Amino acid sequence: MARGGIDQLIGILTEQKGSIVEKWIQKIHETYPPETANFFRKERNKFANPVGSTIQEAAGPIIEELLEPRDSEVFYKHLDSLIRVRAVQDFTAYAALSIFFALKGAIRDIVGKQVRREGLEWALLEFESRVDRMTLLAFDIFMQCREKVWEIKRDDLLKRPFVLSGGMCASYMVRRGQKHLKKAKGSNNPSLN
Amino acid sequence: MKDLTPQEMLRIDLHPPKTPWMDIPVKIKPGVYCYPAKPEKLEVVGMPHPHKWSPLDDDWGLPEDWKEIVLNGMRERLEKYRSFKIFMDICVRCGACADKCHFFLGSGDPKNMPVVRAELIRSVYRGEFTRAGRILGRLAGGRKLTEDVLKEIWYYMFQCTECRRCSLFCPYGIDTAEVTIIGRELINLLGLNINWIQEPVANCYETGNHLGLLPHTFKQNIEFMCMDIEEFVGIKIDPPFNRKGAEILFVTPSGDIFADPGIYTLSGYLMLFEHLGLDYTWSTYACEGGNFGFFTSMEMAQRLNAKIYHEAKRLGVKWILGGECGHMWRVVHQYMATFNGPADFLEEPVSPITGTKFENAKSTKMVHISEFTADLIKHNKLKLDKSRNDHLKVTFHDSCNPSRGMGMFEEPRYIIKNVCNNFYEMPENTIREQTFCCGSGAGLNAGENMEIRLRGGLPRANAVKYVHERFGVNMLACVCAIDRAVLPASMSYWVPEVKVAGVSELVGNALIMEGENERSVDLRGEPIPGRGEEEVSEDV
Ligand code: SF4
Ligand code: SF4
Repeated sequence: MARGGIDQLIGILTEQKGSIVEKWIQKIHETYPPETANFFRKERNKFANPVGSTIQEAAGPIIEELLEPRDSEVFYKHLDSLIRVRAVQDFTAYAALSIFFALKGAIRDIVGKQVRREGLEWALLEFESRVDRMTLLAFDIFMQCREKVWEIKRDDLLKRPFVLSGGMCASYMVRRGQKHLKKAKGSNNPSLN
Repeated sequence: MKDLTPQEMLRIDLHPPKTPWMDIPVKIKPGVYCYPAKPEKLEVVGMPHPHKWSPLDDDWGLPEDWKEIVLNGMRERLEKYRSFKIFMDICVRCGACADKCHFFLGSGDPKNMPVVRAELIRSVYRGEFTRAGRILGRLAGGRKLTEDVLKEIWYYMFQCTECRRCSLFCPYGIDTAEVTIIGRELINLLGLNINWIQEPVANCYETGNHLGLLPHTFKQNIEFMCMDIEEFVGIKIDPPFNRKGAEILFVTPSGDIFADPGIYTLSGYLMLFEHLGLDYTWSTYACEGGNFGFFTSMEMAQRLNAKIYHEAKRLGVKWILGGECGHMWRVVHQYMATFNGPADFLEEPVSPITGTKFENAKSTKMVHISEFTADLIKHNKLKLDKSRNDHLKVTFHDSCNPSRGMGMFEEPRYIIKNVCNNFYEMPENTIREQTFCCGSGAGLNAGENMEIRLRGGLPRANAVKYVHERFGVNMLACVCAIDRAVLPASMSYWVPEVKVAGVSELVGNALIMEGENERSVDLRGEPIPGRGEEEVSEDV
């Protein structure tokens, strides 16, 4: 594949970026029930519509980074915000992450004809493997989020009165214990080293 | 999805169906529902039909005449509570409330729209009680009560935190929280409460507090915090318990006596009272300000609330001071005087330090700690070193009940501004009357329903994230024990850089007490930056 092909494709995608972003957002919205999708689309106030605005704010920068990688931290931050929401919503793992495959669909919907006309199918495949790599990264983030939920559940258990009835909450005792240990260590107590 | 074959996987359609809500059967899922009440916890308080069951089973072990029980219960409540009857009749389904619920906003599930939540019950009312609904059924928005309908009602009544945000936007003043309250009462007629509510109710009935702390443990935990205070502040406190003839009875939620970080709020109370030389007492019997009875039935709320006045009478105090709690204040403010009043053996509360008469507490005789503290500050009765909180950039979360339930907006803010130099408000449509719920109130602060808690917590966390990113906010202050118990979980998922504290903890940090140490650590024993004691390395 000649280098020129991918550059030409990126040129086309960049030109059509606005429509692609819009199409992708629409496809993400469609993973929710219709009345919810409608609300996510319409309500523009960031605080009155946290999920809709998260999607809105993340989609553009993610696509920009795919087109021209610049700042991996920004890329990661937006991916994280998008996945963090879906990781606790009523989705199975595949449904939560399906939105990244939907991006491929969005791109084909918008530029598919032009790609065929100009013989850029191979370039598109190459670009799609960028999307695939992002999906793998998204999978990592999804797993981190799920593990975090379990960690929170575990910590919550430590604060449950019914676990340790008749005393102080375990999380406090653990923290207290660690603090004393640290202090003792700091004072070079040989028995603790 | 483990039950899909690869072939099915290839055929999968990721788009949810465009079906009307009534035709989408309920699917009860782990992570959303709370575990059922243990039969013995229902028996303790004489609640009907205790039995073992699981929400995931087809058979919920309902009594044979369950339908009659629910419909009779509904009829009785339609007659007894005019508000319930009105809320059933007058909704025009305008949708103004639809997008105001944190559970809808975070989950995207249309059945979490307040209008639909109420409609779950309203459709049964129409289908079973109104002529049009009985004849026309679906055409008139009615349906019959079936087991599936009951399960759906159960599932969604425990996805409502009774926060009343939706009611703020309803042009007719319909309060979906009250529909949920009645919905839960009906559920309780069949022994279907959740354990996270029922066990605290039983504990409270037996030991005086939700956590089931026995008197000696209650006392010992408070003494624990006194030891902390002695170590961190250098002041020895010997708090009074069950002291007859004290002027004031202090009551706070037991979360403050037990769980991190509420216990540091407790340290704040202890230090404040010691500093003032307040003539007060703790009680090991009326040792719970919260009231999970309120999440069960009005009758249970009344029964559990009664002990506060009984104890005040037994000890012969003049008035009652209440700690930082959410729903406790809704019960005190809106129900206590009618539940268990008039408390004419008590006096109209007057601050012994400033002489201020708390006229707003004339009927209940119970004053909020934030009102009490704000009044002290206003009269220059506290010496405060704000700079001890300089490492904190603080925002304030209005808890649903003190804000929407009793209209307390200014006092906590006034206190925070007097004990901290860095205070930042969250956006207007997320605070004061419009505040977003923590996502886990009304007895939904269990662990097994963490997914729905995190969904419901998103709108609040989203606003916290904004002030964190914009101003560097790292502390979320609140005046509610449930907030202190649940917001740390929500923060650690959505905005991990932000910690949670009660307002009285911040007061305790800033309070200059006579004879105290040079303060190098805060009430949590953590070094105050730039004050000497630096953190010893973490790798223990
Ligand atoms: S009371 Fe609160 S939780 Fe319940 S439906 Fe209304 S907004 Fe939602
Ligand atoms: S705002 Fe009031 S009238 Fe409108 S749908 Fe909601 S409850 Fe019904």
